[in-house]
Amino acid sequence: MRPLTNGASACLFALTLVAVLFVFRPWEPHFAHANQSAPPAPALTGRVLDPQNQPVRGAEITVYVNNDEFEELDAESQGDGSFMVTLNALPDTPFESLRLEILRSHFAPQSWTAGPRELAALRDGQSVHVPDIALERQVTAGFWVATAVFVAMLFIIALERLHNTMASLLSMAVIFGVSFVGGALTHDLFIFDFERSLEYVDFNVIFLLLGMMVVIGITEETGIFQWLAYQAYRISRGRAALLVIILMSITAVASALLDNVTTMLLMAPITLQIAIALDIDPLSLLLPEVMASNIGGISTLIGTPTNILIGSYAGIGFSGFLVNLTPGVLLALAALVGYVLLRYRKQYQGAGSDLSPALLKRLEEGGRIRQPDSLRKAGVVFAAMMALFIFGEDFHLVPAVTALIGAAALLLWVNPDIERMLKVVDWTTLMFFITLFIVIGAVQEVGLIGLIAGALKSATGDSLLIGVLVLVWAAAILSGVIANIPFTAAMLPVAGFLTSTIPGAGNQVLFYGLSVGSAMGGNTSLIGASANLVTAGIAERAGYPITFRRFVSVSLPAMVITVAVGTLWLLIRFSLLIPGG
Amino acid sequence: MGKILCATRGGEAAVRAQETAIGLAKDRGDALLFFFVVDTDFLQRSVAAVRPDIVQAELESMGEFLLAVAQERAQKQSVEAEIMVRSGYLRDELLTAIRKEDVTTVVLGTPTGPGSVFVLEGLQALAEGIADESGVKVVIAGSQNDEEQG
Repeated sequence: MRPLTNGASACLFALTLVAVLFVFRPWEPHFAHANQSAPPAPALTGRVLDPQNQPVRGAEITVYVNNDEFEELDAESQGDGSFMVTLNALPDTPFESLRLEILRSHFAPQSWTAGPRELAALRDGQSVHVPDIALERQVTAGFWVATAVFVAMLFIIALERLHNTMASLLSMAVIFGVSFVGGALTHDLFIFDFERSLEYVDFNVIFLLLGMMVVIGITEETGIFQWLAYQAYRISRGRAALLVIILMSITAVASALLDNVTTMLLMAPITLQIAIALDIDPLSLLLPEVMASNIGGISTLIGTPTNILIGSYAGIGFSGFLVNLTPGVLLALAALVGYVLLRYRKQYQGAGSDLSPALLKRLEEGGRIRQPDSLRKAGVVFAAMMALFIFGEDFHLVPAVTALIGAAALLLWVNPDIERMLKVVDWTTLMFFITLFIVIGAVQEVGLIGLIAGALKSATGDSLLIGVLVLVWAAAILSGVIANIPFTAAMLPVAGFLTSTIPGAGNQVLFYGLSVGSAMGGNTSLIGASANLVTAGIAERAGYPITFRRFVSVSLPAMVITVAVGTLWLLIRFSLLIPGG
Repeated sequence: MGKILCATRGGEAAVRAQETAIGLAKDRGDALLFFFVVDTDFLQRSVAAVRPDIVQAELESMGEFLLAVAQERAQKQSVEAEIMVRSGYLRDELLTAIRKEDVTTVVLGTPTGPGSVFVLEGLQALAEGIADESGVKVVIAGSQNDEEQG
């Protein structure tokens, strides 16, 4: 075995360190020990909730005894909204009154006063459980700033005025600027501090993306995508209808296992050549392919960035998506194939192949496996990763760790130029997700997400059926107008709130609905998904532009059909069609 | 004997430009070079793991295929043509190729439609710029009366 270079060793060490850090998460405070030991003195325990009955983290609890503040007794609510004030430093004189003051940015101050019974119990050394303390939201100037910045970011991304990462980075900078500079002038402009903003960053998502980027980077240079496309051409023997079915199947499966943007970037150029070889409009192959890739990605946790976000937030693992969504995806793909064959029937019937031997040879060369040895090794590691994704859930192996282990194994075994491989990690995309989490955290912090959640709850009531329908279709339609990644990230707490408040939603159907709506909604318009945009970019460069109008004319009916099928599947799978089911 | 450079892609508009270039080469007895430029700027639109080097190689391969189709079209009309694929910005690569290949005439296709990276005004500005900077004749093919610059 060849020794690794210093740079390679350093990179591998860094990857291992990242994996270890991720498993142990030393940055997360551990309260377990404190909670397990019984308090030596009487204590006040309770929960702080927001208007939607969701836990409020970080509320400051100040204790006043006989109207005097006791700073040493101050406490803070935890992630589940709970707090515990241990009364171990009370005055020697008997106390006549006890009051808790609860302060939290973006909420009105609240207080709780101990009654005679509570006071008596405390004097006897007994602990007291305080009734849930509900805080009222306060709309501050910070609320309007965060909301305006968030909306502006969505528009900038949708209109492609700035790169996604630049848009989210700029938004984050404005939020921090206002929060720190403005917040120093008037507390009304305060949004959150840096420490709290980092709590909103989901490192599970970041490390899963990072690991998968390395895996994809190694896989894509093997030529497997191009080989598959060429085999589709060879097997179909000029029958365009059969060809498009095979190509759609390939892109759907590849998108589920890797990601849809990579799949389309590598499939589109050779698909264009195949279409020219068959003398048909390349868009009659490309558009079905990209639509299938947007749908196929829904099947797995790693198939789309939106699924990675949903899986991490809702704790849905690889098999959760596989079991609950794959049958629906297959049904939607079948419906899409039917639509495509009907829509392009004349094109496909007119296909013919009069390609010269020289051009055929060129096509064949483009569709060969470039690195068979790397492909074999990548296949073995990838199969092991799939097994870990599925069975690792049994021993709490988080997907991000599996992806990092797979990436490290591929780098070691396949042994490409490791420094070059690590350069292929798309740091701008990782930066996009980190900054996006912080921007979404800001609107969550100031209460915008809570307002949306409350409004949706009012609209749906306690009906899970209506909740699913609203979430799926709103996600599908809005994904065509605004980028679906920020949209999904913002909707996660909303789906979480509805899941905790609508009876029967504990089966996570609303999160699956969000997955179906946001990913299938990528087919609503050209800007609905990154895969659409890169496909349009390639087609344009080949001289076959995909206009917004042309895309929508084909994709919108497909979106309606597939989302309807996807919705129907969810209703059947989660027994929502049966009254009382 | 001069040399005609035809910057081309696929699609109907490109075929018109190719036919114009083939016709000119035949009439004048000039050499013909079909030219394709790979530009991967669109990758900026994606939020995913993207390897620009791999995508560029794929697009170059696609470009070679498109040019080979054009080359066969010329061959069928008894015109021998060469092909050249470059990566970068169209204007810069065109000027470099004009210098290196001693090109005397450049043929450009008309915009392919509303989704094209070029609008007609932009293409005319490009043609004028190339004509001014390199001194070669630039023909915008595809319209009923091919426009000449330079």
